[in-house]
Amino acid sequence: MKKFGISVLFFITFIIIYLLQANIFPSLKIAGVMPNLFVILILWIGLFASTFEAVIFGIIMGLILDLIYGRVIGITAIMLCVIGYLGAYFDKNFSKESKFKIVLMVIGATIIYEVGYYALNGLILGYDFEWLRFMKILIYEVIYNVLITILLYPIIQNLGYKVDRAFKRNNILTRYF
Amino acid sequence: MNRNKQTETLGGIITLIILVLLIFLSNVQTSKLSFFEGVASSVFSPIQNLFISLKNKATGNSKYFSDMELLIAENEELKEKNRSLEEQVRELEIVKADNETMQEYMNLTQKYAEYETIPAYVINKDVSNLSSTLIINAGTEDGVAENMTVIADQGLVGHIISVSKHTSKVQVIIDPASTVSCLISTTEQSIICKGTLDNDQTLRASFIPTGAELIQGDTVSTSGIGGIYRKGIRIGTIKEIVTTSNVIDRYAIVEPAVDFSTVNNVLIIAE
Repeated sequence: MKKFGISVLFFITFIIIYLLQANIFPSLKIAGVMPNLFVILILWIGLFASTFEAVIFGIIMGLILDLIYGRVIGITAIMLCVIGYLGAYFDKNFSKESKFKIVLMVIGATIIYEVGYYALNGLILGYDFEWLRFMKILIYEVIYNVLITILLYPIIQNLGYKVDRAFKRNNILTRYF
Repeated sequence: MNRNKQTETLGGIITLIILVLLIFLSNVQTSKLSFFEGVASSVFSPIQNLFISLKNKATGNSKYFSDMELLIAENEELKEKNRSLEEQVRELEIVKADNETMQEYMNLTQKYAEYETIPAYVINKDVSNLSSTLIINAGTEDGVAENMTVIADQGLVGHIISVSKHTSKVQVIIDPASTVSCLISTTEQSIICKGTLDNDQTLRASFIPTGAELIQGDTVSTSGIGGIYRKGIRIGTIKEIVTTSNVIDRYAIVEPAVDFSTVNNVLIIAE
């Protein structure tokens, strides 16, 4: 029941982020680039909830975004699913204690998501890759995402551990001993 | 104890002397004391004046308070009036905005009078940095279908890529996946305009014929080839010509006529 409640909260967070991305961030662009909070959200779910939750949410949210904006249905879903896996992988192999590590994870996730998104879109739609311009956009986006992560770090950490306790209470022993 | 008695006696004597003096003074005619009167009046009149003025103010205050009640009532009345006026101003602003939109639509329809058009608003813009899609508030119920051309007051916006009942997705010409066949207005030479990832929202014109002469500021419009866009819809102007070592590779930067970050009212050209 608690897990269900948290899942509902994840979805509400997604809607809030969607509204922010669609209405607020277009007027808060840095060098014409918006941040990508969806990546941070799915990475966070992967880090603090479970692999299953992260993957399912990645696919559902990705599909919703694809249906609203996408030219090809499924690319955002695939990439957010990958980010969900990545979050779970980070959770198993790295510590979530330090801000620096979380920032590094966000940088990695943003780069993987955007490169994958651009490459898949380019391959399917068959357009010319402009890697230099893409790199410029990517760098700004990574910087923006890092700034937001640093800004939201207390929330990420506090809420994260609450979610962590709800999802991983049973297997703490097996994880640490 | 003794000292107290002495003081009491001294006090009594002084009081007696004063009283005797007062008896004498009371019998003297006042006119003979005018000097002392003058001194007293010159000392006390300013104080008296002060008291008088204070008294006058105090009596005036009753009027002030009665006026205050009136003023409060008047203030309330004015506030109410102000509120209703503000409401009217808001209503007028809405009417004005509607009027502007209608006028824009009218200009648009007059401009593209030869086409049958469907008006629409832009209701959403892509959240990704790598693609440009617009969502408009017209769908199958309004007669919109896939591949219809979307235009704005200044020129071409893009084409419909998918339609739902009440909304449609528009692929904008600056999207990296968009390719439009165009004509240069002066030379009637055919070129291909592709969307880029550029932040300045520009198009890249390539496949320029080797013999073609490009002039900065030339207008670029659709050629009608490709089956989606009709011929003669304005796209933009040539901003920059980039020459490379090989003349086949040269390309031009085309600045779209439409500002895609502010575009709100569009028209869909019905088939």
